[in-house]
Amino acid sequence: MSRSTNEALARGGGALDGKEILAADRTVILVGNPNVGKSVLFGALTGKYVTVSNYPGTTVEVTHGSATIEGQPWRVMDTPGTNNLLPMSEDEQVTRDILLSESGYLCVQVCDAKNLRRGLLLTAQLAEAEIPFSLALNMADEAVSRGFVIDLPKLAAALGIEVVSTVAVERKGLATLQSKLGSARPSRFVPHYDAAIEEAIDAVAPILPRGGIGPRALALMALVGDDSLRTWLAGRLPSETLARLDVLRRALAARYPESLRFVVARQRLAAVDRLHDSVVTRGGVSTTSGWARRLGHWSTHPLWGIPILLAVLGVAYLFVGVLGAGTAVDFLGHTVFDGYLVPWTDRFVRWITPGGAFQQFLVGPPGVGPAESGGILVGRYGVVSMGLSYGLAIVLPIVATFFISFSVLEDSGYLPRLAVMVHKLFHRMGLNGKAVLPMVLGLGCDTMATMTARIMETRKERVIVTLLLALAVPCSAQIAVILAMTAGLPLAATAWFSGTILLVLFLVGWLAAKVLPGRGSDFMLELPPLRVPQAGNIAVKTVARIEWYLREAMPLFVLGTLLLWTLDRLGWLRTLERWGEPVVKGLLDLPPEAASAFILGFLRRDYAAAGLFRRYQPFMEAETMTRSMQIEVTVALVTITLFIPCIANFFMIVKERGWKTGFGMAAFILPFSFGVGAGVNVLMRWLY
Amino acid sequence: MGATANPERCPLCGCGFDAGAQGCRPSCPMARGCSVVCCPNCGYSFPQENTGLAGRLRRALDRSERRRTGT
Repeated sequence: MSRSTNEALARGGGALDGKEILAADRTVILVGNPNVGKSVLFGALTGKYVTVSNYPGTTVEVTHGSATIEGQPWRVMDTPGTNNLLPMSEDEQVTRDILLSESGYLCVQVCDAKNLRRGLLLTAQLAEAEIPFSLALNMADEAVSRGFVIDLPKLAAALGIEVVSTVAVERKGLATLQSKLGSARPSRFVPHYDAAIEEAIDAVAPILPRGGIGPRALALMALVGDDSLRTWLAGRLPSETLARLDVLRRALAARYPESLRFVVARQRLAAVDRLHDSVVTRGGVSTTSGWARRLGHWSTHPLWGIPILLAVLGVAYLFVGVLGAGTAVDFLGHTVFDGYLVPWTDRFVRWITPGGAFQQFLVGPPGVGPAESGGILVGRYGVVSMGLSYGLAIVLPIVATFFISFSVLEDSGYLPRLAVMVHKLFHRMGLNGKAVLPMVLGLGCDTMATMTARIMETRKERVIVTLLLALAVPCSAQIAVILAMTAGLPLAATAWFSGTILLVLFLVGWLAAKVLPGRGSDFMLELPPLRVPQAGNIAVKTVARIEWYLREAMPLFVLGTLLLWTLDRLGWLRTLERWGEPVVKGLLDLPPEAASAFILGFLRRDYAAAGLFRRYQPFMEAETMTRSMQIEVTVALVTITLFIPCIANFFMIVKERGWKTGFGMAAFILPFSFGVGAGVNVLMRWLY
Repeated sequence: MGATANPERCPLCGCGFDAGAQGCRPSCPMARGCSVVCCPNCGYSFPQENTGLAGRLRRALDRSERRRTGT
């Protein structure tokens, strides 16, 4: 074992379980992305002689063991999964520090053969670090079953190292990997950067100290301003050398509008892309060839990306807004629910229950239509005729078509590109680039997205993102109903609605970014190649999302209906409508009954929107919407979209940001949404 | 790791991970019965695809694919 490992183990000795570690001169370190099978490979190599210790000063576990390979004793070390030798997490820093502090070791990079591109990004960094290593393409069976074909000889020749295909869980390929361990060597696959970066590397590399990582990789780490390396350098370099390093770094950084970390990662990724595309084929079609690659490039182009984005949104609108919100809602609402389910429920209940008060409690008096009756199952606020009808006949077909579209976007590889396109827009708004991820995710579910806001680096960023999600990013179910309603509106009214929401998003985001102190950070997202989506994958994703939607939304739809039914029976609904009249009628010019939609908005905003949709649906279908109705729908949509978050999202905000922030946001959003709605009402009645 | 009990694949960044071991759910107030998982690489959240009806559909598709390819 090398000296530094002994020191590390001695420092973390308390955590060691004292099992036997064989004496050996040679050390092999397993490195790789998270979840690629390193630990399985480690177990297969080492058997039972394993110790687990926390890496000194951290809570990150590092596993050590012994193995006899080709008759020789080896020490084997399993490192935390890492995507980058420029660490962005404690795990990644531990792996980088192990590689930096060890000496005289070999590495085995374990890579997920299904995701070679991601693995090659690490390969390129190991090559830059001049670390001798072999590459194990693990989970090779899964890659084959998914149609990936990797040209191993070509990959090995391009990398200049041994490349072995493995299935660690079945011990396949392990003997070959072990036999080739001794011939591990540094890879020749060293990406070349632009002239300015190469010049800076040449200037910095000679002044850096020697470590387990080669001077080129160290120079790159130092140049991009890796803070975690600073302490290591400070202990080994005189202060004047550190100062010179800072000068060189600042001079290089001044040449680029983006951060150096981003620039280096982008150029390295380009080199990896070229190698990946030359050795990987999928389903008989090379990823290098043809339109997919060009389209992938155009889709993030500052100019050509916009028409592609608009085309994608247009197709999604036709599918969700016209097919889902039009045809499917019409069929399920009128034919299935109104034609069969509601009358069947009514007849069934009357058949199994004796007439009288109990029957009337369930389905209302005989001969009275559901819209007039007060039954708890079939009635104006009945669980079947309203709750299930809203959830299954109005929202479900729309969210189902939306989920299909969303899954196609994900599976085709366009979703990350959409994030990149939107990122450019958000960046101009003064928002942090990373905010794009929760924002895009918020279009699926704001509650999930609020949780994802944790990836933002500072509290300021997390608060802004949470606020914008709660305020102006409609979730999939809400988008669904919005699409259904805007489908019945003229283009000008739709433009008023979407323009208002985008303006609010822009202004509130921009103002919050100005008002709150703090700094931004970089946005980096690996772009997978564009590909033709697989029907099976789309089906599985859509079913998973629909299951999730039904579990989360349907109980609240039923609960909301029961709440309305109770309020109605107690006569409180009219009281609430009277209380809400000054705002709902006076300020927003909406019918007083819309107050109940806003009350339900506390439960789910899409439920509230579905209530509004049901009110205006007959006029939309008959194409008899008056100018006043068009304004009413637009104002109601703006207000409901900006309305306070649903109950699940509110609890998540409270959980993530605390009670003060949660209630503070609700206190801001409630009057703000009514204020904006009132403003739109005044402007539309004047200008529309 | 490779032999994960609950393998998932992030639809955004392509990261494969063990949903059973991923860390965002235990801290969530609505974790009980929730099938949403977070990618440990990029933070993207999505409904789990290896459980429930979606899981059964996935396994049926995999079986059909294996029969088709004779593996």
